[in-house]
Amino acid sequence: MPESFAGTKIPVMSAADIVTARRVARDLCERLGLGKADQTRLATAVSELARNVIQYACEGVCLIEDRSDSHTRRIRVQVEDRGPGIPDIPLAMTDGYSTSGGLGAGLPGTRRLVDEFQIESEPGHTRITIILRKPL
Amino acid sequence: MATPLIKLLHEHREELLDAWLHHAQSIWSGNGNYESLPQESRLRLRSIFDDIATLIAQTTPDDDFELNPEGALANHLHQFVTEQARIGSGANKTIGLMLSLKHLLSTRLFDRSEADAVADLMWLERIFDSLTQLTFTAFVDVREHLITQQSLSLLELSTPVLRLWSRILLLPLVGVIDTIRARQITERLLEAIARHEARVTILDLTGVPVIDTSVAQHLMKTIDAARLLGTQVVMTGISPEGAQTLTKLGIRFGDVLCRATLRAGIAEALLLTGQRISPVEERRS
Repeated sequence: MPESFAGTKIPVMSAADIVTARRVARDLCERLGLGKADQTRLATAVSELARNVIQYACEGVCLIEDRSDSHTRRIRVQVEDRGPGIPDIPLAMTDGYSTSGGLGAGLPGTRRLVDEFQIESEPGHTRITIILRKPL
Repeated sequence: MATPLIKLLHEHREELLDAWLHHAQSIWSGNGNYESLPQESRLRLRSIFDDIATLIAQTTPDDDFELNPEGALANHLHQFVTEQARIGSGANKTIGLMLSLKHLLSTRLFDRSEADAVADLMWLERIFDSLTQLTFTAFVDVREHLITQQSLSLLELSTPVLRLWSRILLLPLVGVIDTIRARQITERLLEAIARHEARVTILDLTGVPVIDTSVAQHLMKTIDAARLLGTQVVMTGISPEGAQTLTKLGIRFGDVLCRATLRAGIAEALLLTGQRISPVEERRS
């Protein structure tokens, strides 16, 4: 039997949705008994990714799932959009690089905040997957 | 051409209006509200009824019916909906009123059944479809307008710049900081700094739930602008988790004076302006 995961799908279309996504992430952390530091860590990461969606792709989807098993508590967040894509991923992952006059800390910072970070991008489809892990 | 519907409206106009108003009263007092329908609403409903009767008398079932959005009926309906939305009655009440009139007319039309009333019923259906649509749109419009107004006033409320002591300002930030708010905060703060010739400004972040790169950038810009006016900025209220997250993100507030709590921030501000808080007793002796 395939395992089913409790997940929440949040459409990201306006700045208010960023707040919603952040709250869902925080609530799930709390439900799994993760501490305040982890809650803030994940909420901030979700905030960064969702804000990127609004800024570069206008709209997208944020999927927040509980993927825990018997040894590890695991939260997976997947943020997807149909925007122009990231032409040069290594460059985008460099500290201080930004195409929009920002701080250039969003993507590299998010990678440092989470335990697993995966990015796939082509014109018309970008997907970033992050995972927060904590042994039971 | 006098269709059954036109005849019905012509012969029983007052009676129909009374029945409708009676029904309106029962909708009105439905939620344990035993007040009578206000006189203004009665008058408004009366003019809506008159407009509908005129409209029906002027058209025929074969016409392609389209409600004139600038006409008297649309206007009256709009005003009525606006009043209802203002006092907080639900959309179902207002739309229920329109539907009850349709129900009333079609029932009466059916009861008479002297001639073939199908064409008239279809016609009635078409007219009330657009009336209901208009009512609904008007209702949503009014509500959206209210919401926009409220969020604007909330924006106004949520960025006070407080004068803590002579030449010391306090800016407590609460809630989500987006671009619009950040701009407003900066404007207010700079104005206040200039007005009060502030030497020190305390920026308290206790009420900011998440500080991500975008919020941090807004803060940095605000701090830079404040410094250009000759004030020193003391940042307070960053939580331990927040601090950890910020460093992981790689955001440095390197040259900004920070204190953990607002209390420590106030102490620092007083120190910077060469003042201190001392017990009353000490000063007497």
